[in-house]
Amino acid sequence: MSAAKVKMRGKKMRNQPVSVQYPSSSAQNGGDTPNPERTKNPHQRGGWVRGHQKDGGGYTKEMPKHITAGSFASARAAEVQAMLKAVTKTTGSCHVYGALPKHMRRRSMSHNTKRLPRRLRDVANRMREKSLQAGSKKKKEQPKSKSRKARRRHGNLLLEFNRRQRKNMWLETHIWHAKRFHMVKKWGYCLGDRPTYKCYRPCYRAMSSHCLLQDLSYYCCIELQGEEDKLLACLSLLTSKETGPTFAAALSLSGRRQGSVVLYRAGQYPSQPLGPVTFLWRPRTQGTTHRQLWIWAHPTIKKDLLPELQTVCQCCEAVVPPVVPVVIPAGVVLTPEPESEKTPEAQQVTGTKRKRSGKDASVPPAKKILGDGTRSPTTPVTWKSSSTGIVINDLTLEIVRYRLIGPQSHSVLAETLEAATDCHEIDKSQSSPLWWPEHCKDENKMNLHQQQADVYHILKGIYSTGELPPGTVLGLTVDDPRVTLPTKKVKALPCVKQAQEVDEEKRKELMLQGVPEHCCQSYLWEQSVRDNVTDNKISEQDLNRMKSEVLVPGSRLSPIPLQGRVPILLVHQPGKQVGHEMSSWGAGWDLLLPKGWGMAFWVPLVYRGVRIGGLNMTLKHSQNKGVSHFPHDYPDCPAGVRFQEEQESELLDKFKRRPPAKRTNYIKHGCLAPFRCPWQQLAEEWELITREGESQTTTEADTVMEEEMTSHRDITVTKPQSHVTVLRNRKSLRLLSGWCKPTTSKGQRLCRVGEVPPLDRSAATSFLATHVMSLVWVRLSLLSKGKPEFHAMVCVPTAEDLQLLKKGSSSTGPQEPPHKDHFKSRIKRKKKGNKKTSTPSLLPKTDNKESDLPSTSEPNPTTSEDPKSSSQSTSDLIFGLWPDPLPSVTSHCSRVTLGWVTQGDFSLSAGCGEALGFVSVAGLLNTFVNQPMEHRGTLLLRNPTSLHYRFAKINIEV
Amino acid sequence: MVRVKSRYLLCEVNVSDRSRLLLLDDRAVAAAVREAVTRIHGDYGAALCSSGFTVKYLNAHTGIVFLRLPKRSYRLLWSALPFISTIEARGQKVSCFLNCLHVGGTIRTCQKFLIQYNKQQLHRMLPKCKNPEEEQKIRRAILNCSVPGGNMEGLGDEEDDNDEEEEEEEEE
Repeated sequence: MSAAKVKMRGKKMRNQPVSVQYPSSSAQNGGDTPNPERTKNPHQRGGWVRGHQKDGGGYTKEMPKHITAGSFASARAAEVQAMLKAVTKTTGSCHVYGALPKHMRRRSMSHNTKRLPRRLRDVANRMREKSLQAGSKKKKEQPKSKSRKARRRHGNLLLEFNRRQRKNMWLETHIWHAKRFHMVKKWGYCLGDRPTYKCYRPCYRAMSSHCLLQDLSYYCCIELQGEEDKLLACLSLLTSKETGPTFAAALSLSGRRQGSVVLYRAGQYPSQPLGPVTFLWRPRTQGTTHRQLWIWAHPTIKKDLLPELQTVCQCCEAVVPPVVPVVIPAGVVLTPEPESEKTPEAQQVTGTKRKRSGKDASVPPAKKILGDGTRSPTTPVTWKSSSTGIVINDLTLEIVRYRLIGPQSHSVLAETLEAATDCHEIDKSQSSPLWWPEHCKDENKMNLHQQQADVYHILKGIYSTGELPPGTVLGLTVDDPRVTLPTKKVKALPCVKQAQEVDEEKRKELMLQGVPEHCCQSYLWEQSVRDNVTDNKISEQDLNRMKSEVLVPGSRLSPIPLQGRVPILLVHQPGKQVGHEMSSWGAGWDLLLPKGWGMAFWVPLVYRGVRIGGLNMTLKHSQNKGVSHFPHDYPDCPAGVRFQEEQESELLDKFKRRPPAKRTNYIKHGCLAPFRCPWQQLAEEWELITREGESQTTTEADTVMEEEMTSHRDITVTKPQSHVTVLRNRKSLRLLSGWCKPTTSKGQRLCRVGEVPPLDRSAATSFLATHVMSLVWVRLSLLSKGKPEFHAMVCVPTAEDLQLLKKGSSSTGPQEPPHKDHFKSRIKRKKKGNKKTSTPSLLPKTDNKESDLPSTSEPNPTTSEDPKSSSQSTSDLIFGLWPDPLPSVTSHCSRVTLGWVTQGDFSLSAGCGEALGFVSVAGLLNTFVNQPMEHRGTLLLRNPTSLHYRFAKINIEV
Repeated sequence: MVRVKSRYLLCEVNVSDRSRLLLLDDRAVAAAVREAVTRIHGDYGAALCSSGFTVKYLNAHTGIVFLRLPKRSYRLLWSALPFISTIEARGQKVSCFLNCLHVGGTIRTCQKFLIQYNKQQLHRMLPKCKNPEEEQKIRRAILNCSVPGGNMEGLGDEEDDNDEEEEEEEEE
């Protein structure tokens, strides 16, 4: 019986009488030698021993010789007592309700003790108190909060929101998202991950045929100001021409195009990358070389990027922002009101209600936080350099960025936004605090605005967003979109009629040349205008009131109030640029707005029938586009490394939550690291293999591997540590792409192959001289069925596999023989050892078993270590996972591993399973050299939870 | 749920020498019953005894025994009880006979009967007292048992949900 059962039984039987008898140990002397003293009254000596007690303690062991009437009577009385107790007390639960017969029990008694018979009330009350105490111990007594009505009052709600924004930044669309999305706290923000409704396919359809909207305001904007040549000189340290166009590219430098680069730590190329950023130059203004540059970076990069920029530009003087919020009404950051209001309230808890409400009235109402609420107002956001004159400005959350993805995004924009209308003559004559009337006075500015409006008008006539040159920028000033908000949700459709009207030639020019340079200018670049617009936004309430005062209900508000002119920037986002099918899939527009106007633009956009996507749609978007997604696919960047660690711990937690019997046994599947990809180890191993291959000139990669594994350990120790990098050199990538049999996922041949030098051993060797520790980003498309998952293995097919493929194209692929889980017995043994302390006789046996462990197929380093350390490692053994010092990752399975997949899914755009991932360059070239020409580029894919290999075609797209 | 039904016999062990009663223990009683049943009914009886037969309670001071017998065969087993003449306990033979006072379907009825019986016994004893000291004692005993949950040391103030049962052992 378990301890709990014994306890239960004891509880149940405690009222039952126990046999009254003398312990049997006194059987020898019996009653022959009675102690006269004890004979008198055995009971007062405590002579009764109940049950089979081993020794009676201080009780008498001898029996009395004779009895008296008194003892006889008291014995009877005691028995009666015991019986009485047994009869009256119920055996069942200790609840008082048990004392009542069933037909008299009522449910209400458990709440209201007065429903109980009076004789049970005391006990019931005591029990209730006890349970209440126990309950209060667990969760602290909640402070009495205000009534719901009070809490929902606007001011109080705002205070509450402001309080909650202090830990994680909220986007302006937070409330909207929080009502519809699963929110996650990521990178210091609260972001919508995925909608609560089912919309995976609708979202894909929106991306490919209509429009998907995302709030990307969490991307951080860093502004750099200074002389053009100095800026370029500083920034050139961070980039390399080999990876593609840099900050100095002529098109982007003119401000007509948005550019994107991968940044490295200063002068460290090709190692230590920071991550990809996009950037936008402000178009030149006549007569000055002073330029303005916005760098848009993912929040995880910002942490590394900002110090790097500061060192590069020698900007270390922090400019303390003005603290007094009166000077800048919409303070760059949070105004101090909420705190000051909080404190008196907190002190006044004891005060009466009326008093408090009087105090509340005197305090100015709390302001809505716009921008970053987590930062304290005194944190510097601007850094200046005295030597170079460069100013770095952190514009995080200062500019709202919405992304519209899909071919119809321009028609959504065209329907939502209208170029700003001119203001009246009367307004022009008098000076105004608003920016737009001032602008209207200037003839040049109005000319520019007219030109921009014309371009915008042409834009409406375009058939698809993808037709525009990638990265086009258009500056514009628009009316408040709330004014034209439709009463019902309508789906924005391209206006074909208008398309015919528009001059054909102009449209062609726009499609080929992009927007002319001067039209890329926008007043969004100017801090003063941004602040002015943000401060003077008409509140929703006022606007609605004005709408209701219109003479004809439902008609358009006119004239539009002067406050409603917003400078915006439209930035074209290129679609799929790599690969040969579905080109320019997923192109779209980015809409940049001054802060505070987020919701004013969001709702009108939503009313044009767009779908809203969360973070997971961003991932799917980049997956379909075939580009690497940050930070998932940047294993060499610090942010990518951090992401991998987080992901591993998350997956491991999820895995551990399952009971061991229900877990996937990854050891049996031959999957060494299902939750992370040991890139470093992979690259090192492949480097070794290639080195061995050079020295021995054996053709079979497998035999080489077997040999090198033995010498694996000591070589890695002596070799200087070099970190794994991702190959981003355009030239090398192009070469590699040419080598891997330029086929598309459907297996069609591409016509232009000739320029690539033929791949042979010497070419591979010379290529590997520089890139031996590199990984390369590849796209794999499955030839038959199968859905790759992330962390699936990319393997090299053997000659037999290729034969199989040649014979029947319908063959699904080879199988991996199931592996044996040697650690299972160890875990079991450990469990046993935990239960009873390990006996010394067991130990030699375990040693024997461990020496048996190294199997023929896997010469792994873990087994060769001494049993002591292995027994040490058993402490963190997890059932189904390989413990930490991994054996050779390349040769663990029957097929040699080249790399892993980082994203994989059934691609709705390609109609087959597609995977994106990294493979080792050395391994890839080695494979290509050994593969026959007709099968070059055919690899195997295997999911971590399956033993089935699938054939896949490799594509390296530049 | 199907209940395993049994019969409880409330028996009194009558001995000639009352002090020898204290030698008894439950195992000895059980062995004696088993032996008698085997003697009277043979292997069949012994087999019947093997399951469902226990001595639930024995008071060596008063000589009260609760026997639990399976209901199916209790008559057969009961019929063997009169043939018990000695109980061998602690290496000594105690000559005695079992007097069945009550047959109950539950142990509770037996307990109830025992309360009633003991009270009756005490009331009978009271007029036969020889000295006032004795009479005083008996009177107190009667008083104690007549008040349900009366104040006998260490017993009466036992709490319902009190988990420590050690105190119970020290009752008088």
